[in-house]
Amino acid sequence: MLAKLLEQLKLVWKILRRPSVHYSLGFLTIGGFIAGIIFWGGFNTALELTNREEFCIGCHEMENNVYQELQTTIHFTNRSGVRATCPDCHVPHNWTDKIARKMQASKEVWGKVFGTINTREKFEAKRRHLAENEWNRLKANDSLECRNCHNFDYMDFTRQSKRASQMHSTSLASGEKTCIDCHKGIAHQLPDMAGVEGF
Amino acid sequence: MKMNRRDFMKANAAMAAASVAGLALPTSATNLITSSEQTKLEWNKAPCRFCGTGCSVIVATRDGKVVATHGDAKSEVNRGLNCIKGYFLSKIMYGRDRLQTPMLRMTDGKYDKHGEFTPISWEKAFDTMAERWKATIKAKGPTAVGMFGSGQWTVFEGYAAVKLMKAGFGSNNIDPNARHCMASAVGGFMRTFGIDEPMGCYDDMEAADAFVLWGSNMAEMHPILWTRVTDRRLSAQHVKVAVLSTFEHRSFDLADLPIVFTPQTDLAILNFIANYIIQNDKVNKDFISKHVNFRKGTTDIGYGLRPTHPLEMKAKNVATAGDSTPIDFDEFAKFVADYDVESVSKLSGVPEHKLIELAELYADPNRKVTSFWTMGFNQHTRGVWCNNLIYNIHLLVGKISTPGNSPFSLTGQPSACGTAREVGTFSHRLPADMVVTNPEHRKHAEHIWHIPSGIIPAKPGYHAVEQNRRLKDGDLNCYWVQVNNNMQAGPNINEEGLPGYRNPENFIVVSDAYPTVTTQAADLILPTAMWVEKEGAYGNAERRTQFWHQMVKAPGESKSDLWQLMEFSKRFTTDEVWPADVLAANPQFKGKTLFEVLYQNGNVEKFPLSDADPKYLNDEAKHFGFYVQKGLFEEYATFGRGHGHDLADFDVYHKEHGLRWPVVNGKETKWRFREGSDPYVKPGKGFEFYGKPDGRAVIFALPYEPAAEEPDEEYDIWLSTGRVLEHWHSGSMTQRVPELYKAFPDAVCFMHPEDAKKRGLRRGDEIRVISRRGEIKTRVETRGRNKPPVGLVFVPWFDASQLINKVTLDATDPLSKQTDFKKCAIKIVKA
Amino acid sequence: MKTGKLLSIIALLGFSVSVLATSVPEEKIDTLRLAPINVEPTPPAMQAVINTDVKQVRNYPMQPPVIPHKIDGYQVDLKVNKCMQCHARTSTGHTQAPMVSVTHYMDRDNNFLADLSPRRYFCTQCHAPQLDAKLLVENDFVDIDHLIKAKAAVKH
Repeated sequence: MLAKLLEQLKLVWKILRRPSVHYSLGFLTIGGFIAGIIFWGGFNTALELTNREEFCIGCHEMENNVYQELQTTIHFTNRSGVRATCPDCHVPHNWTDKIARKMQASKEVWGKVFGTINTREKFEAKRRHLAENEWNRLKANDSLECRNCHNFDYMDFTRQSKRASQMHSTSLASGEKTCIDCHKGIAHQLPDMAGVEGF
Repeated sequence: MKMNRRDFMKANAAMAAASVAGLALPTSATNLITSSEQTKLEWNKAPCRFCGTGCSVIVATRDGKVVATHGDAKSEVNRGLNCIKGYFLSKIMYGRDRLQTPMLRMTDGKYDKHGEFTPISWEKAFDTMAERWKATIKAKGPTAVGMFGSGQWTVFEGYAAVKLMKAGFGSNNIDPNARHCMASAVGGFMRTFGIDEPMGCYDDMEAADAFVLWGSNMAEMHPILWTRVTDRRLSAQHVKVAVLSTFEHRSFDLADLPIVFTPQTDLAILNFIANYIIQNDKVNKDFISKHVNFRKGTTDIGYGLRPTHPLEMKAKNVATAGDSTPIDFDEFAKFVADYDVESVSKLSGVPEHKLIELAELYADPNRKVTSFWTMGFNQHTRGVWCNNLIYNIHLLVGKISTPGNSPFSLTGQPSACGTAREVGTFSHRLPADMVVTNPEHRKHAEHIWHIPSGIIPAKPGYHAVEQNRRLKDGDLNCYWVQVNNNMQAGPNINEEGLPGYRNPENFIVVSDAYPTVTTQAADLILPTAMWVEKEGAYGNAERRTQFWHQMVKAPGESKSDLWQLMEFSKRFTTDEVWPADVLAANPQFKGKTLFEVLYQNGNVEKFPLSDADPKYLNDEAKHFGFYVQKGLFEEYATFGRGHGHDLADFDVYHKEHGLRWPVVNGKETKWRFREGSDPYVKPGKGFEFYGKPDGRAVIFALPYEPAAEEPDEEYDIWLSTGRVLEHWHSGSMTQRVPELYKAFPDAVCFMHPEDAKKRGLRRGDEIRVISRRGEIKTRVETRGRNKPPVGLVFVPWFDASQLINKVTLDATDPLSKQTDFKKCAIKIVKA
Repeated sequence: MKTGKLLSIIALLGFSVSVLATSVPEEKIDTLRLAPINVEPTPPAMQAVINTDVKQVRNYPMQPPVIPHKIDGYQVDLKVNKCMQCHARTSTGHTQAPMVSVTHYMDRDNNFLADLSPRRYFCTQCHAPQLDAKLLVENDFVDIDHLIKAKAAVKH
């Protein structure tokens, strides 16, 4: 069995090593380049397809749990109609982080296939774990996905409530706290918060 | 000169402000008044004015005004807590538009059905009423006069009203608004146990291992009981809470097992649980062999609509709806076998594992279970069945009458039990669970009341919904409404209530403290004292009777309902209202006023004015010259003493913070029907359901039957109505407390975001909520405290400017005659 | 000045007597509706929650304070109590929110507990935010302070 596989691999290697007989070097170079663009574009397009809310809530786990909860929050409907979709908060915007996140997502695919959270009860049992993942990520990147929209430099404290401006002008300004430290559970329900700092 | 209510209020307010502003403030050395002599308050106890929980509050008065209230720390019910409404009780009497004088619709100085409300004297008001009452009785007999009372009447008022109607006018046309609220619970108790009201008490909450809420949003409607459930659940980790409803609400916040089911399928879920218990061999065989009988109830009983309604014509057993035949356990087991988990899950929309988890709470012999229900069960076209079916479950496993094991029917109103049920202000009832259809019961009542036999009619009078229908049809012509707002609370007011009140043949009198839509539809408005402006007694859901003293004077010419009833009785002599043959046989009653025969009968006037504590006001006693409340109470108490409804002596209740009947040898009863706890259970019996002749409760075989109206293509969504925490019933008191008003100022239509999207609607949009009967305008709410599933909306009914009962259906439970306010089909369009 | 005040009081008294003799048309009787029963009034636009954080004076010391801010989406359930994130004793240092009153640490038998009493867990049973709605009816509840001061003034 193993011998047979090795045999086949050797064959492939041979073909790859052999110089081209039918095509010019130029054709191969340019063609390879174009094919590369196409593959690269296709890869990115496919990647971007997975970065849309429709994709996220294509799974009932997402649609029936977190998406239902999102709909009644300010991140879904609000005064100005600017809304956050799933990837806005859950997928990093720069490429390397995004790829890193997508690689992590393979675990979610695994979870989907094996139905790890396919009932409300199973989802609830995992909620703390799932939330902690997101809190840790946002804590580590200084709430980067929050800050993509909520830029500290452009906050007008006079337009905030007394409570908010007090907190933002001190703890947030000094870097002592980051967004996620206080704003947990703003778009989805909180898990059991026993032992979580600040609760 | 014409004024509207607001101008009228402004004038009064300016006066009140001037009287305060006109006084110079004292100069003092410090910014505080440190003399406790000056800051001392007079504190007295009273039950809360609102729901059936029956919290006790302590009321502070100063210079004739209520200035503060707080929860009574000595009360077993609430131990110092109140809900937001209770904490604002101090302000409910001070809405600027209190009615202060009788007002009659008049044009050019004469009564006119289409005239404007014109202030008149009490003398003139009673003259006008008496004239109409006498002419009507003379022309059409006593069935053409009627009264609609309340579970918010004091015990004394309800009792005086029953006497006036049944023993005075000889009419059974008296019914309380408790018909909309508790009638199905009463029907359930009478059918299963033969005696009304819960066997358990609130102490069950500290003992239970599981709570199941069946159509009860306790978090909003019984907040203080919810604090006790919450206390238990959060203090003991093994305790489980299951919440069943047709939509998600605040009680779900404490739910370990949240269940949203398709409307009406609670019947099937209940039968599934019974089936599960039997299939899994969890029946308490010893208990059922000793204490239970099995019966099969009549089915296909209609929907309590007008007899001409197609659904009534189609139903086979309308006339025999209450019948049942004996069966045995095996037949019962076979009957419920159809309700297996697969089919019930499919019907109800509840996942199978949740149904099993729910059933297991009851089946597990090591778990003490308390079931709570309120309007989800009672306001149901099969409300009595629902009550019967939950008792089935508790009886099958013997989880009853012991601490923590309790099928507990919660009440809506502060004295739904104390007044409406125990006093018997229903059209078919007499005090202490007796009924007018039983000749022995009538005889007994006539004997206690010292009136000739033959005065109380044998035929039940018109129930609440029937009253509106008969007003419309012109069969009921003189109608007196006290302590409720039925033009807002009653079902289908567009087709029945409003045409009934405005029928030119009819004269409608409404007694209230505030103007309401019911006063708006009335012909004569009587200004009424409320709460601690009179001495009173209420009875709560756990059989607890609580008294309070009059603490302040009512404003203007307002008078208590009790004063009104008794004073009105002076206008009639027996010759004008009693049958001639009865009078001929009992000539000693000839020429006497109803006041004399009803309230000076040797019982009621027995206690002199000097018996009343001089520390307190008592406007009624002073006016009539005897301690009327004591006289009425002691006469009333003779009905129940020695018959399982024993009440303590009158004076005891002014001292105690409430006692749970039966009070035997000075001791209250916490759990009925169990030996050692209930003095009425004979030694050696263990348990005894002594409401039934053989001491056995009944397990009923009753099926699932569909709702009266279900969504279809045109009317495509379910409507459920109900209350919100901050407002009591129709909001006539709480909408006048600024803090409560601002907490929830206007009714809204709670809707699933997808249902809104489907109809092109968004939060805040003005919409029309339309049924086959009527429509209202309201606004879309897709957030907030209630989260209906797709296909159902919830609209609260507290808002006088959004009368959702124009939309509801007047289908009732054929057994209890209670309306189903939780289910009808509507459509929603953008306004 | 004093005579002026007195005169205006007398005028008002006279006015209120004349009020009793006036009539009110049907659609003006119910202050909470002010429309005929068979007409559907337009519901007022949804009001915003007052979010000023300005404390409102209590009507009496035992009154639970109203909530002077929004609580949209605040989760209070088996998993978490969002209100206590700021109002717990240990949080009030950095949040400067008022600590829940000491009564909230007492159980049913008035023993003090180390943390919030479970019977007080659901905050909205007693506390509610206020919407910016115009009152339909004024309330003439009199603050005890007015009564005491009025009495003291009479004595002086």
